[in-house]
Amino acid sequence: MAFEDLLEDPVIQKYLHELVGPTGMPVAAAPPDGEVTDEELAEELDLELNDVRRALFILYENDLASYRRLRDEDSGWLTYLWTFEYDNIPENLEEEMYRLHDALEDRREYERNHEFYLCEICSIRFEFGEAMDFGFECPECGSPVESMDNDRLVDAMDDRLDALEDELNIDADA
Amino acid sequence: MVAVSVSETEAELTEDERAGLELVRETGGIHQSDFWKELDVSSRKGSRIVESLVEKGLVDREDTIYNGHNTYYITPIARDLDFTLLMAGDMLSPFIGEDEVDPNSDAFSQWIMNLAYEE
Repeated sequence: MAFEDLLEDPVIQKYLHELVGPTGMPVAAAPPDGEVTDEELAEELDLELNDVRRALFILYENDLASYRRLRDEDSGWLTYLWTFEYDNIPENLEEEMYRLHDALEDRREYERNHEFYLCEICSIRFEFGEAMDFGFECPECGSPVESMDNDRLVDAMDDRLDALEDELNIDADA
Repeated sequence: MVAVSVSETEAELTEDERAGLELVRETGGIHQSDFWKELDVSSRKGSRIVESLVEKGLVDREDTIYNGHNTYYITPIARDLDFTLLMAGDMLSPFIGEDEVDPNSDAFSQWIMNLAYEE
């Protein structure tokens, strides 16, 4: 198996699981050295060929696998030879850190600029406007909604944004 | 590309190279003109150290202008980043595997709740 050092990282395991799902995980978690066919993988991992192909295609879409096609001269059939490109995992996750950072900035802005009301029974949160439209009563259960402060959410977002900016060398004032 | 374990490559570094790599990782990014001063080596030696670390794939280097001079900016490679920053509790960033980023999605709300109440 290749890329052991990367696959030891629990975040990377989770990432692969998120991409290929539980049925694809045996394929994603055990990348062989060098090239391999989908049939070989299915045989070796005792999986349905379709599940193997689905997982390989998802990895391909995420730049984590590549293939080349060979035509069998006798039968005319095409064989796909797959290579796992897990060297790209760190760059992909770096990109995800940037996407998360931008989303957190947008969301923090929204949290700061709105007032919220909570139905404690249903755990549903309403914006001020919504709550007013409903007469400050929960449309699900009819109980009154209470003003809710979101300082704790904003603080948590502040902390994570600081950490991401530090790690990615993003200038917060830029 | 052949998957050589990073720690193997690191084990073969000279003392200066190791100190240089450490400096890049600690600072998270440094201009080459500061790099050799911090390491207390000559500029020529500093650039040789960087050259070697770039070749080994341990740092990235890009052109930049700093204090009016052309120099390089040296950064750690992505592999060294702290990917746990994508996690909130045991939940991974909900944008992974998604084409669109929706900062007001329910999945992201859940992620932020985890961040605020489970860490």
